Amino acid sequence: MATFELYRRSSIGMCLTETLDEMVSNGTLSPDLAYQVLVQFDKSMTEALETQVKSKVSIKGHLHTYRFCDNVWTFILQDAVFKSDECQEQVKKVKIVACDSKLLSQ
Amino acid sequence: MATNVSSVYIHVVDDVISKVRDEFINYGAGESVLNELQALWEMKMMQCGAISGNIERPPLQKNGVPTPVHDLNVPYEGPAEEYETPTAEMLFPPTPLQTPIQTPLPGTADTGMYNIPTGPSDYAPSPISELRNSIDLKSGRPSPYMQPPSPWMNQRPLGVDVNVAYVEGREEADRGSSHQPLTQDFFVNPSGKRKRDDYASQLNSGGYIPQQDGSGDMTIEFSLPQNVVGQDQKSPQGSGSSKFPLNKEAKQHPVLPQYDGVHDEYDDVFNKLFMNSKLNLPIFLFLSHSRHYFFLKIFQFQGGVTNEDYNTPGDHVELRAATPSVGTPKPGKNEVAEDDEPPLNEDDDDDEDLDDLDQGEDEPNTQHLVLALFDKVTRTKSRWKCTLKDGIMHLNNRDILFNKATGEFEF
Repeated sequence: MATFELYRRSSIGMCLTETLDEMVSNGTLSPDLAYQVLVQFDKSMTEALETQVKSKVSIKGHLHTYRFCDNVWTFILQDAVFKSDECQEQVKKVKIVACDSKLLSQ
Repeated sequence: MATNVSSVYIHVVDDVISKVRDEFINYGAGESVLNELQALWEMKMMQCGAISGNIERPPLQKNGVPTPVHDLNVPYEGPAEEYETPTAEMLFPPTPLQTPIQTPLPGTADTGMYNIPTGPSDYAPSPISELRNSIDLKSGRPSPYMQPPSPWMNQRPLGVDVNVAYVEGREEADRGSSHQPLTQDFFVNPSGKRKRDDYASQLNSGGYIPQQDGSGDMTIEFSLPQNVVGQDQKSPQGSGSSKFPLNKEAKQHPVLPQYDGVHDEYDDVFNKLFMNSKLNLPIFLFLSHSRHYFFLKIFQFQGGVTNEDYNTPGDHVELRAATPSVGTPKPGKNEVAEDDEPPLNEDDDDDEDLDDLDQGEDEPNTQHLVLALFDKVTRTKSRWKCTLKDGIMHLNNRDILFNKATGEFEF
């Protein structure tokens, strides 16, 4: 089953990647096993986001760059405002990477 | 909300660990490796601030930092007490910084140090505390405060009289003595001529100057004894105390022989521009520049044939002082822009590239990032709309999760 490796770029994903890299470098962990861990992380993260998160966010901003390649949208926004129920964030520049949700169901 | 994010993360960690446990066992890696993995992973997440433990702490620390600042400003008595009691200590201070009397330190700062605290809170405490605070902060640079404390000193009979007289005298002496070395220092440096003589004497008698011949080959003070003697007469004009004119002259040297090649190109262009158009322009101004300054060249057309006059130094001397605005700068500027100056449009790209590069390097931490899945992306003219779901947002060093998101962007 294919997984979205998208979430490996998040904070939690980067921490896991770094940890696995260190352990593989040390020889504590085999590369195959590390890969298995990453794949499982992809699944678990996707499932957690589907089931455990219920918040809704609105995004507004100036679209500086858009790109659609390999079924992946990449947007670069400037002066973006992110509003949610709890908080509001403003950033001068943000990159949005979005994979096609329909690929999962396939 | 932050706890929710961290709780989700912890749930993910536990889920992953539990599901790979079988893999680890089957592979033979063992529980210990698995536990080590989990521990390392969670530790890194805490360091990143992804888990709640560290997320809440840094703002508390930030709140804690300013409070001591206020504490220092508000209670005068606290530091006042500290200064009150050690007046004797200040008179006989253990630390070397506070012993200006005993040791002949450059006393302006040091005398100010303990002059102020010697006037304890008996007098108006607020200015003293302010001065104390300023001195504490500056720690040894109350030179601006030296003058105001002097009246305080005079008004304090608490054993300060001896100190005052001594300090005043020392102040004057210090001031007097302080000025001299400063002035002396200033006088020494700009005396380039003296240095030249010194260097010349040190090196090979007048090696400071040469530059027209040897400058392109050598780096400044080294001399070409043969050429130096002949060029000493010319030297005082262009040679300054600094190395910069030497560099100029040094760069003249390689530039001069290049005029032949350089002007050939321009001549070709000019011939195309002017000669073909059969314009009889008596004077033609040409702009070219080396790295640091501009030359103006005059070409005299006689019957359509350009006579290059750059061999005559006199004309060049006059032209060098002229500004580029003289004459017809249009062709010159075009060529200058094309050949020597980069087009201005590159700046925009450079800014973007730098931004991208910088954010690419700092991507895991400082770059704001949203990772999600998209359901729909549409566009109407320049208005973009998209619906996202199941996303992780990293904004302003903070993680936010969402189940659904709607975006409206203006392109």
